[in-house]
Amino acid sequence: MSKNNQGTAYKEALNKYCALEDIAAAKETLTPEVLLKQFHPDYFPNSIINLKVGANKGEACHGQLAAMLQSDARIDESDLAGAPILETDILVIGGGGAGCAAALMAAEAGARVTLATKLRLGDSNTVMAEGGIQASIEQGDTPQMHFDDTIKAGHHFSDKELVAEMVMDAPEVIRWLIQQGMQFDLDKYGDLLTRRAGGTSAARVVYYRDYTGLEMMRVLREAVLNSNIEIIDYSPAVELLANESGHCAGAVLSSLKDCSYNLVRAKSVIVATGGIGRMHINQFPTSNHFGATADGLVLAYRLGAKLRDLDSFQYHPSGLSHPQHMAGHLITEGVRSAGAYMLNANGERFVDELKTRDHVSSAILRECVEGRGITTPDGAIGVWLDTPGLELREPGMLALRFPKLIELGKKSGIDPLKVPPLIYPTLHYQNGGVVIDPNGLSSVKGLYCVGEVSGGIHGKNRIMGNALLEIISFGRRAGEHAAANCHGVKHKKISIEHLSDLRRELTQANMPMDLQGPLLFPECAKFENDSDYDGLHKNR
Amino acid sequence: MQKQDEELVNVTINGKEITAPSSLSTIQALWHAGYPRVKSVGCLEGVCGSCRIMVRRKESDQVTMALGCQTLIEEGMQVNFLVFPTPTHHTYDLKMINSSWEVQGRFHKIFPEADHCRHCGGCNRSCPKGIEVERGVALASKGRFREAGELFIECVMCNFCMTACPEMIAPNHVGLFSRRVTAYFHTRPGNLISRLETLRKGDLDVEK
Repeated sequence: MSKNNQGTAYKEALNKYCALEDIAAAKETLTPEVLLKQFHPDYFPNSIINLKVGANKGEACHGQLAAMLQSDARIDESDLAGAPILETDILVIGGGGAGCAAALMAAEAGARVTLATKLRLGDSNTVMAEGGIQASIEQGDTPQMHFDDTIKAGHHFSDKELVAEMVMDAPEVIRWLIQQGMQFDLDKYGDLLTRRAGGTSAARVVYYRDYTGLEMMRVLREAVLNSNIEIIDYSPAVELLANESGHCAGAVLSSLKDCSYNLVRAKSVIVATGGIGRMHINQFPTSNHFGATADGLVLAYRLGAKLRDLDSFQYHPSGLSHPQHMAGHLITEGVRSAGAYMLNANGERFVDELKTRDHVSSAILRECVEGRGITTPDGAIGVWLDTPGLELREPGMLALRFPKLIELGKKSGIDPLKVPPLIYPTLHYQNGGVVIDPNGLSSVKGLYCVGEVSGGIHGKNRIMGNALLEIISFGRRAGEHAAANCHGVKHKKISIEHLSDLRRELTQANMPMDLQGPLLFPECAKFENDSDYDGLHKNR
Repeated sequence: MQKQDEELVNVTINGKEITAPSSLSTIQALWHAGYPRVKSVGCLEGVCGSCRIMVRRKESDQVTMALGCQTLIEEGMQVNFLVFPTPTHHTYDLKMINSSWEVQGRFHKIFPEADHCRHCGGCNRSCPKGIEVERGVALASKGRFREAGELFIECVMCNFCMTACPEMIAPNHVGLFSRRVTAYFHTRPGNLISRLETLRKGDLDVEK
């Protein structure tokens, strides 16, 4: 991390800090392009390399992700001898919002659905989402404006067809969620309340407090548990299976309960494994779930799926920087949307707080690098999120709309109504991913990829509320399409033969092959064999 | 990551004695001591309900329930991680409830135990979020689903109350049922419905 320890010490800066009703807006000195190039982590020198094998050979990719995409497999044929084979129509890998939406739609269409998840059903980034979900429903807003905002924020790298389908789906997505039993914040007439996302032209984010993802996930989990979908939990997928013509035909699951391998033979597979935050790209802290380790990207890439935008990641501006044990925890953009300023050590605003996330994060990094940050004794740095100032302007609003922030305050011992939280960008989202069509289908037959694992919708930068929209919009599409197209599909032979090709390619490219993927769990957990059924024990 | 001069404390986690810096959560302390642990780990932010622990603090005979990622270790603390319980036996499909007039009747068929509450307060004491669980069950029993659901806003479905309940009420699922029927039958936002209608007529399109 390119932190600069020159700044004002925490205590001194806090003594200087004073909540004010009004503070002059920032004067922008750099153009957005220059700001990003100078300060955004995507432009850190030597962080991007070219891939040497696979469908994206020769294309740019972050070095840490490239190492995983070009890693050796965790298994070979001998591991699968005698492994039991389970039959299903559609295998969904991943138990977050996208996986649940896909599974529910496929099951409703009459398909036999099996959902495999690395940990428990619902363990996902979805449950941690705070800000809300985008849908153009207000007068004066249109799907076209939603489309334009998404394309512009993504710096015109998005797949326009995918974005067009998604923004047109959005109102129906909200209706579907309500019919699953999800609540939203409403005004006194029962209309959906909306807030504005950074970098957008209208208030379009609908939400439930700052618990939008929690509310969504507990409802979808309950809907799945009350359906005939078969759940296989604590079972990360370690490889996909293919038939003789390379059509995806299932997966190899590794059970954490008894360390055994199980094969699932399926007519098609929907990968909804989420993102990458726990790989700590560029050594940043992350707001992501423990399981966000890019597994799906690795599995899909080995089977030949084309990926995109592998050099682009989102750093959310308001990750907590202090206290240290909570570094990376998220404070929703909704707080800035509600009117909170960001201040540097001199008490000055330094950027329009509602610019796009890449812009705002770059501005924070600039303040820190140029000595206007606030430094803590344990080596952290950041800027103030001026929540006490917002409390002064809008008394009571934080407590009403942001209960998770208030909880965060209790946990960190810093009451956001009185003391401004110290924030620093936190690794939040993988902008790119597997190339898909409007049904969520990848370039490999029978392989769907939905949610954060897919790419193309957000270009090089995502706006608040488009992730929760994407997972439901494309999760539903993939579930429907997979169910409608599974009739008559029969795979004679299923195997992991594609790994032989992978290993040959890796050897020819002189790759080290000392790393095994997918990662499955973050390094901090030191995972080899988990150990809670037979008591705790250390790695051998 | 930890600095040299940080205060070290001694704790016992699932019978293992561990010494670790006091700024760590119970989960971080396990990792710090070299015990790989991935089950019972989730969001690490206190919203997924995965890391269920029982805690007894030094010189206290009280055992409390908590979330492991939200609990910092203290000198002399005893911690036990709990396996996540099997799902509740209660099942229902919202689509099988024909109208909001029928909800209360259906509720008592789906959750027949809800009326048997002994008011032991076990659910309240076990809730790491401080929810008035018992009152929520009583309200739902009386058909006051909107009010009951409001009490469960912070519920992370850790299932502690389910484990604590001697009558097998599954109070958290009662709370979630209350919330779901409220949305399913009563959330009808005018702004959303109006936009859906405009879209149905084909009056809005996107030019790429």
